[in-house]
Amino acid sequence: MAEGGDIFIEGVAMEISWADARRSLPELIFSSTTRAIDDAGRGWEGIESVVLAAHDLVDGRSLSSMVTAPAAGAYLRDEVRYGDDGAGAFAAAVNRLEAGECERTIVSAWGRASEHDVEGVSRALFDPVFFRPLGIEELHVSAMNAQRWLIDGGDVASVAEANQRREMMRRANPRALKEGGRQSVPSYPLEASHLPRWADVTVTMVLSRRPASVRLRGIGLSSEPYWPGDRRLARADALRMAAQRALSEAQMTVDQIDLFEVDGLTIFDEGIALEAIGLAEKGGGLRRLADDPRCNPSGGGASGYCAPAMGLIRLAEATLQLQGRAGGNQQGTPRVAFASGSSIIAGQTQTAVIVEAV
Amino acid sequence: MKSAAIIGVGQTGYRRSHPDKSSRELIWQAARLALEDAGVGIDGIDVILAGVAPDGLSGENSVERTGMLGRRKPFLRVNTGGVTGSSTVFAALSYINSGRAKAVLVVGLERMGQATSSQQVFNTIFDPIYEKDFPLTTITMAALRASMLMRLYGYTERHWAEIASRSFRNALRNPLAHLRKDISPEDVLASQLLAWPIHRFEACPMSEGACAMVIVAPEHVGDRRPAWVQGAASITDSYAMGDRIHRPGATLVDLLSLRLAAGKAYGQAGITRPRDELRVAELYSAFSSAEAMAYPALGFCAPEDGPAFVEAQFTDSRLPVFNPSGGPQGANPVSATAMVRIAECALQVRGLAGERQVADVERAVATGQGGATQFSTVCVLGRRPVH
Repeated sequence: MAEGGDIFIEGVAMEISWADARRSLPELIFSSTTRAIDDAGRGWEGIESVVLAAHDLVDGRSLSSMVTAPAAGAYLRDEVRYGDDGAGAFAAAVNRLEAGECERTIVSAWGRASEHDVEGVSRALFDPVFFRPLGIEELHVSAMNAQRWLIDGGDVASVAEANQRREMMRRANPRALKEGGRQSVPSYPLEASHLPRWADVTVTMVLSRRPASVRLRGIGLSSEPYWPGDRRLARADALRMAAQRALSEAQMTVDQIDLFEVDGLTIFDEGIALEAIGLAEKGGGLRRLADDPRCNPSGGGASGYCAPAMGLIRLAEATLQLQGRAGGNQQGTPRVAFASGSSIIAGQTQTAVIVEAV
Repeated sequence: MKSAAIIGVGQTGYRRSHPDKSSRELIWQAARLALEDAGVGIDGIDVILAGVAPDGLSGENSVERTGMLGRRKPFLRVNTGGVTGSSTVFAALSYINSGRAKAVLVVGLERMGQATSSQQVFNTIFDPIYEKDFPLTTITMAALRASMLMRLYGYTERHWAEIASRSFRNALRNPLAHLRKDISPEDVLASQLLAWPIHRFEACPMSEGACAMVIVAPEHVGDRRPAWVQGAASITDSYAMGDRIHRPGATLVDLLSLRLAAGKAYGQAGITRPRDELRVAELYSAFSSAEAMAYPALGFCAPEDGPAFVEAQFTDSRLPVFNPSGGPQGANPVSATAMVRIAECALQVRGLAGERQVADVERAVATGQGGATQFSTVCVLGRRPVH
């Protein structure tokens, strides 16, 4: 555990939409930021820090944060942007608080899938010599993970059930994308319903060193090699390590967690994530996703997906569950929640976060 | 803030391009040199932070991923444009000062030699409706400011040329520099006019290369010679330059964000008289006029005294030494450049700057500037930790 004392989540806001021509990206960011500030209930007092997760490739500019950082409240404040997943930015924001650099901080993440070529950006992430000629995308890596999972004896019967429940939870989630969105073309063995629904996503949290309703218990980060061939497919080893670190810091076992919001590009990735964190046996992740109401009650990637915001969305959904404010998909009164976020390239880096209701 | 220490610096050297090396090779070369300087192996590193600015410059997206170091270590990428390098260092300081890491490896990588035209890439940083069609670029953006400085404070083209020439002379003593030519003020004024009043030799070159540093908590300095981080601050201004032209209290050339960051960093370091207390200043000034713009923001002189301050640098040995590395005129690997400024200060404070070593460097300041001069960072290094 770090030296800086407890860190709390004061405010949360998110927006998931699709191609809303009435609002620019900065307006969407401004909206979620001001709503998170309002949710925290203390105005801008003591907020000197703004930590962002956003990617130029997604935002469509060479230096996106020039125009978007002020919309997230960065004017005359200490702002930094991570070209990484939102959960990673959350970890960096926690560092700032624990280091005593500020009393409160904003952490915000976004992506607008309706305005960028999702597949084109994904293809350009891969090595230009060996991979790019193949036309490989991150979803193809997910397909390879799914294939490996099936070959290794994954519970085939659970896939459709997990999918059915995911769709049910999406419908119950008042924040989920209800209209619009877009889906990619699936590669074998993936089917269309296994894929994420691309959306425009902005999410903001206000973190503080002063007590609030949700407290941080543990954080872990880890990474994997660049080349998919150097990784163990369908194992999510980076998430495995990140989760172990978060649980160790929280001094908890996975059995003591009441709710899980894990990030995965496809439903197979979500199931594999549950296996990596130790909640399910190898091959049983999708069964867990199908049967266990504690797992991804938000509907996961079906509720709207756009990198690099998803780790922070998962954490925001977990926070709302702990606060009893999730709405139609509220799962009783959970006390401790686990959230994870994965980044490019195909989950090469992972962040795990454990939070608890105070 | 608590003090963290820089105990290892590694740089590849900067060139127009490194056609013989992949991005991962550049990262690994700089990292290996930094680890060797620090006397630690990769296993002694808790966290790795990479700084890469616009992907468009390198022609590879998320190029930092290819050279990821350290099995299963926490890894994050920072992207804040021209201040990416210093933002990455500051993120490492947060890790150290929070107690979440004892040793952090930071790497800044720039591969802009792969871009067909950096200015075309930079044009896309501007607003697509109001600014992009001007066509506004980083050069024309700087020219607007340079002409404003001339009108307000009496700078002449000769001042810009003198600053650039001084940087080129300094770069002659820096084996890592990209441009090592003895260029006189007359040469600068005779060089191609890019956008009045800026001549080619007042502008930074396009450089490739990587810079890495090992930053540790005080108890892990061991027997290494450290450069202590005494102050570090970052401030972001508004995006639209038009909003800053007539802003009360701070115009477009007042660099409000740099002034606020300097005030904060100086406060942490206990600096009240920067002109007397800082021996070296490594400024991220991609154009020589941008260096002059930073003087008042950093407390070296009043805005109206800027031209006289430029002239005094050549006669008054008590003044800080500016850009002993040659600064961005010597090499400007955009993603890494603000980290290079800190690295140079670290080498100067540690007494390891070789032929370009300035005598008796007790304290040094490094700056970063990014975006439409809207992201500013200030980092103060010293021989001793602050308490």
